[in-house]
Amino acid sequence: MADHASHNTPDSSETRVAAVLGRFDTAAGLKAAAEKVRDEGYRKWDSHSPFPVHGIERAMGIRPTILPLLVFGAGLTGAIVAMFLQWWTNAVDYPFLISGKPFFSVPANIPVAFELIILFSALTAFGGALILNQLPQFHHPVFASEAFRRATSDGFFISIEAGDPKFDERKTAAFLESIGAAVELCRVPAAKPAIPKAIPWAITFVAALALLPPLGVAWYRASVKREPRIHPLHDMAFQPKYKAQSENDRFADRRAMRPPVAGTIAQGGLMLDTALFQGKDSEGNYVADLPVPVEESVMLRGRERFNIYCAPCHGYSGGLPEGAAGDGDPRSWDGMVSIRASQRALTGDGTWTPPRALHSDYVQDQPDGKLFETITAGVNNQGVQSMPGYAKQISVEDRWAIILYLRAIGRSRNAAADDVPETQRTADTGGNR
Amino acid sequence: MHEIASLDRSRRTDSLGELAPRAAKTAWIVGGAGLALAVLSAVFFDDGWRHFNYSYLVNYAFYLSISLGALSFVALQHATRAGWSVTFRRLNEILAANMPLMAILFIPLALSLFLPAAAPYVWANPDLAEHSPLVQHKQPFLNVPFFLLRSAIYLGLWIWMARFFFTRSIRQDVSGDPELTVQMERFSGPIILLFALTTTFASFDWLMSVEPEWFSSIYGVYYYGGATVGGLAAAILAAMAAQRAGYAAQSITTEHYHDMGKLLFAFVVFWGYIAFSQYMLIWYANIPEETTWYLDRQSSAWLPASIALLLGHLFIPFLGMISREVKRRKVLLGFWCVWLLAFHWLDMFYLVMPSFASDRFPLGLIDLGLLVGLGGLYVGGLLRTAANVALVPTKDPRLPEALAFENL
Repeated sequence: MADHASHNTPDSSETRVAAVLGRFDTAAGLKAAAEKVRDEGYRKWDSHSPFPVHGIERAMGIRPTILPLLVFGAGLTGAIVAMFLQWWTNAVDYPFLISGKPFFSVPANIPVAFELIILFSALTAFGGALILNQLPQFHHPVFASEAFRRATSDGFFISIEAGDPKFDERKTAAFLESIGAAVELCRVPAAKPAIPKAIPWAITFVAALALLPPLGVAWYRASVKREPRIHPLHDMAFQPKYKAQSENDRFADRRAMRPPVAGTIAQGGLMLDTALFQGKDSEGNYVADLPVPVEESVMLRGRERFNIYCAPCHGYSGGLPEGAAGDGDPRSWDGMVSIRASQRALTGDGTWTPPRALHSDYVQDQPDGKLFETITAGVNNQGVQSMPGYAKQISVEDRWAIILYLRAIGRSRNAAADDVPETQRTADTGGNR
Repeated sequence: MHEIASLDRSRRTDSLGELAPRAAKTAWIVGGAGLALAVLSAVFFDDGWRHFNYSYLVNYAFYLSISLGALSFVALQHATRAGWSVTFRRLNEILAANMPLMAILFIPLALSLFLPAAAPYVWANPDLAEHSPLVQHKQPFLNVPFFLLRSAIYLGLWIWMARFFFTRSIRQDVSGDPELTVQMERFSGPIILLFALTTTFASFDWLMSVEPEWFSSIYGVYYYGGATVGGLAAAILAAMAAQRAGYAAQSITTEHYHDMGKLLFAFVVFWGYIAFSQYMLIWYANIPEETTWYLDRQSSAWLPASIALLLGHLFIPFLGMISREVKRRKVLLGFWCVWLLAFHWLDMFYLVMPSFASDRFPLGLIDLGLLVGLGGLYVGGLLRTAANVALVPTKDPRLPEALAFENL
């Protein structure tokens, strides 16, 4: 280094000793020598062998690695990050009720936590091992030695680098020789190899190019434009079709949406049978009887539709006994949605209007036509839609079938002992219900 | 390195010798006392014989799992041609060779099938089965003759596997013939396959059928995970006991304990992984016929046991055994082995006993008596097997590799 400082234009043929390399014949010899080098107080040195030598790290005085601690910390971080991520996204930022399940529940979140523990741990183990071993290392003074190639077949080496505070070309070489090594000096060019000027320029250029896209995005976001934006796929953005409420010059009224031709009606849209389609007779009174045949198949259809569309709120049995409703305990409710919603309402999370008990007199005393209207349009109390209309989901015939089943619920829930055939009565049916 | 090896080979008498019969006698006396306590309790307590039968199944499954864990360990070492584990292999071979005793101990379970009112296998009771369409549906598989036939097949195959490894290994102690090692390696693959099938179906038959309407296809793997934890912990403790008594002192080193500790640690996590896999699918699907099993175990009486398993069989040993130093110190490693054996026993209790009493935690004198009783017989059987064989396979071709083995 001193030589280098004294020359302003160093000669490329000049060299310096960057390391002393000692070769040993056996793994045992290497281990014994490593202990001596360690005891001599050298710090910047290493041993090289064709295979892992048991106990070499002790012989070299290498302290145990802290990598396990890093990996443990990373694993713990992974678990915490995963739990926080799932809690934040599912329970706080975008709560979404899925079949009544809680928003945040530990068992469901364990697989993601497990994966993140592994991901964080593995990346830390990989990256940590590289960093702690100071890898990747592109050059080492021992590469200057031809003999060093034997480190991959039958050579056992110790290299002491010139950067070591105790390093002295002659003394170090003599020391290695004294412990039984075949010594070689590793010479590298004295001048630090210059980096070709193109490389920093190329890096700067690429970095500048990489800045362009984010700059463009920032510019577009911050500025207001009068012209339409650029459409890379023109025929996808502008398709030859008319959208709702748009113009069409072909017609006199210039409306793209065409009203039905006066005096016509779509197929199946006539619906003259007001009893069937509206639940009302020609004078507008609710019909009292079902406009569909009362048969077992209709009853079964009604039960099936009821269990699909009505039971989630009203319960399979049609609701609680009179008086039991609304006593504050959600578990006394029937119907999955009712249970969950009243649970949440209890903790101050939203409000919940409990559904009517379908076997109550209030419901059962209504004419069939009125029930039909309720299913069709829902229930709206002073502007609060407490029950949605089901006209879209349930066909007209099915609505009537459900009403038939509703009557069966009312009959069975309000049954007296006399309703049970004489032959099937037991002590249990002595009561009122 | 080679000096140590030859030194060990010169100690050809590294077997328990005279010590074994004396110790075995003590074990049998203790075991007899435990069994007597259990029988007396069964006579005097209400519902005592039913409790006895359920508890017998718990303890049988516990000791069987140790032998099964050891058997799978031996087969695995041959399949992977492992060098490091040679010093530990004989102890595992001895543990596995206890299988004939386990076959004898199965007889009370088989007999209990003919006492339908007190048997843990309610499907064998025609009156009960009549009321369950599911059990009726399973009748072609779950019936007494076929059950006994299958049990005989499992036990027969396990006895054969254990004898296969044990006899060849001790023959090698005399001849030093490397061909025996080659033979064991060649058979180890098919044996692992057979082992997996028999263990899975045995756990279905003997443990899962206690609740005949419930089913879980991962149950066999769950039992295997627990069994390996039990087997490894027992082998480590056996090595420590032998070394305390002055045997195999130079052959089993800190390095071997360290590696056994690593395997044990891995299987603690494996058990947790499988247990959670079973739990989460059932919890998420929320199908009544599957959730009943966990509902019983999360009732107020059993919830503490479930949580104790989660903590004591997974989280606490995970944190306790994660450090390298713990696995290299005999006292600490030994502590965790005892701990894990205790929780493995609780795991077996947790698998079976809620079917006996879901409304209370029925731990009693009968369980204690049977734990000690079967334990005494089991240890006695081990000592009898171990009496005249070296505790380390002295002429195994990979023994020098094992003796020179070091963890980096």
